Amino acid sequence: MAAPVALPATDRAMAKSSRTPVGQRKLPHQPGRRLGDVPAAAILLIPVLILFGISVAFPLVETIRISFFDIRGLAAPKFVGIENYFRLFADPAFRNTLWTTLVFTLSTTAISVSIGWTLAMLCNFAPRETTVFRVMIFAAFGVSEAVVGYMWVSIFRPDVAGLLNSFIALFGMPGFAHPWLGDPQTALLAIVISASWGGVGLPLMLCFAAVQSIPRTVLEAAYMDGAKPLSVMRHILMPLSMQGVRVAIFINLLGALRAFDIIFVMTGGGPVRSTETVGYFMYRESMTQFKLGYGAAATVVLLIAVLVISIPAIIQRTAGAK
Amino acid sequence: MIGKAPRWTIVVVGIVACIWIIPIIGIVVTSVRPPQDITLGWWRLDTVRFTLDAWIRVWSEYPLAQSFVTTAQLAVIATVGTMLLTPAAAYAFHFLKFPFRRLLLIIIINAFVLPQQVVIIPLFQLWRDLGLLDNFASVLIPYVGLSFAWSIFLVKNFLEDFPKELVEAGRIDGCGPLRIFWHIVLPNSLAPVAAVGILQFLWTWNALLLPMLYLRSDVPLPVLLTRVAGTYELNWDLRSVAAIVTTIVPLLIFLIFQRQFAAGSENRTGAKE
Repeated sequence: MAAPVALPATDRAMAKSSRTPVGQRKLPHQPGRRLGDVPAAAILLIPVLILFGISVAFPLVETIRISFFDIRGLAAPKFVGIENYFRLFADPAFRNTLWTTLVFTLSTTAISVSIGWTLAMLCNFAPRETTVFRVMIFAAFGVSEAVVGYMWVSIFRPDVAGLLNSFIALFGMPGFAHPWLGDPQTALLAIVISASWGGVGLPLMLCFAAVQSIPRTVLEAAYMDGAKPLSVMRHILMPLSMQGVRVAIFINLLGALRAFDIIFVMTGGGPVRSTETVGYFMYRESMTQFKLGYGAAATVVLLIAVLVISIPAIIQRTAGAK
Repeated sequence: MIGKAPRWTIVVVGIVACIWIIPIIGIVVTSVRPPQDITLGWWRLDTVRFTLDAWIRVWSEYPLAQSFVTTAQLAVIATVGTMLLTPAAAYAFHFLKFPFRRLLLIIIINAFVLPQQVVIIPLFQLWRDLGLLDNFASVLIPYVGLSFAWSIFLVKNFLEDFPKELVEAGRIDGCGPLRIFWHIVLPNSLAPVAAVGILQFLWTWNALLLPMLYLRSDVPLPVLLTRVAGTYELNWDLRSVAAIVTTIVPLLIFLIFQRQFAAGSENRTGAKE
């Protein structure tokens, strides 16, 4: 998938790389001189290329290939062209899945990054005093995703031992007690909250680090010129933390698009398929319904979404690959 | 840093942080209180009794110990594999000249965008045809193979600043490319290789999707946890212990290395400036 991006730049790189490193030609006794580095590179790279081939290149090509076939269980695959894609977009469950994916991805990212960024800005007023608090919030990011799901299942429990329902009852609104994960109207919201809980730590740390790397002298100069803390915030801290925000948005978008664990643990895609994202839909169709071709077509749709949001990162990486 | 630190910012951040760890406290408290004391919620203080009953019983109720060993084995093998192969590849890409070098590099480092959903159908068919389902190799191969996209990127970035003089000195002294790697480059790149190891360990320890699909009998902790939590018994105390056991190792490693992790994850998903 990266090949088309790579091709134009390759010739340039090859031309540049023909420059012989210092000393290489001057040692006639060096073994394999005519082949240069090729034998050594082969020894170092072949295991990597084999493993990469099996677990990335082959699955990528194969997923795209079988998305054009009708494969059910162990029956012989039947070539159906793009019929899987037609069926996919005619399937109300899949169209609903696209909407769920969009809502889940955007709201998880928006909540995590905005809370993380706000906290990072607050922490910058007192970096040392807030160290412990930052680590406490960041710790949520280190909890296994399956465990995050489990923790929040116990908070959203429908009975009195569910923390959220008890909290609502505390304010004398027992009517608001709710089977949060059992209601198609609220289950997705519950998953968004749970995923955001774990997602805040990274934007917090990235934005905090971005602001901390601003030299002291810049801030001192601003204060010398009579800037108020709020205008320092507005004109220095906010713009300079944007790099951290961009990285955090990208990481959160990618993570939310491929989310699986938390949905699997909390709702299993239910109730009535209301929390199925594309990444979950493909699992369900291919691994529980054994419609492999259909599931592969859904995977290709997910792949396209991931590639679209990754275009800037891919360009950056490709340009930086020397 | 900004001089006049308003006190309220510390208070606000502190309150948020305390709210933030409530879910974690919840499962810890649930695991050490008798279930009959907390039927109205783990935070209730009607009767306060402490028990390690769930912590003792869980090992015989679920194959938790077996699962812990499996998880550790898988994570250690996958981590060692990545830590050995990544620096070799990064060295080859950075210091050696060979055909298609840049094309291969670009393909590998851009593969980080692939969601693991892309892998599951083709590898499921492949392992089924090869009879490798339920074999550790069925998850170890993709664990290591999928890691190269970010690990080679991270180590190669480090090598950009590696002093070329050292490599040239080695070459003049008659070292071949392999000996330069083994005696000069590898011993001086241990920091990024360790960072790669930590990230890979956390990732493989927490993996759920691949082992759930490819392993049946010996499953790692996250898979066991989903099986345990999927039952309808009212065993919140036992489940909480299982959840803590699942996440305690990665959480501790994460907290110890959290500074490096914040920097490393930036590289992992590729948006390095």
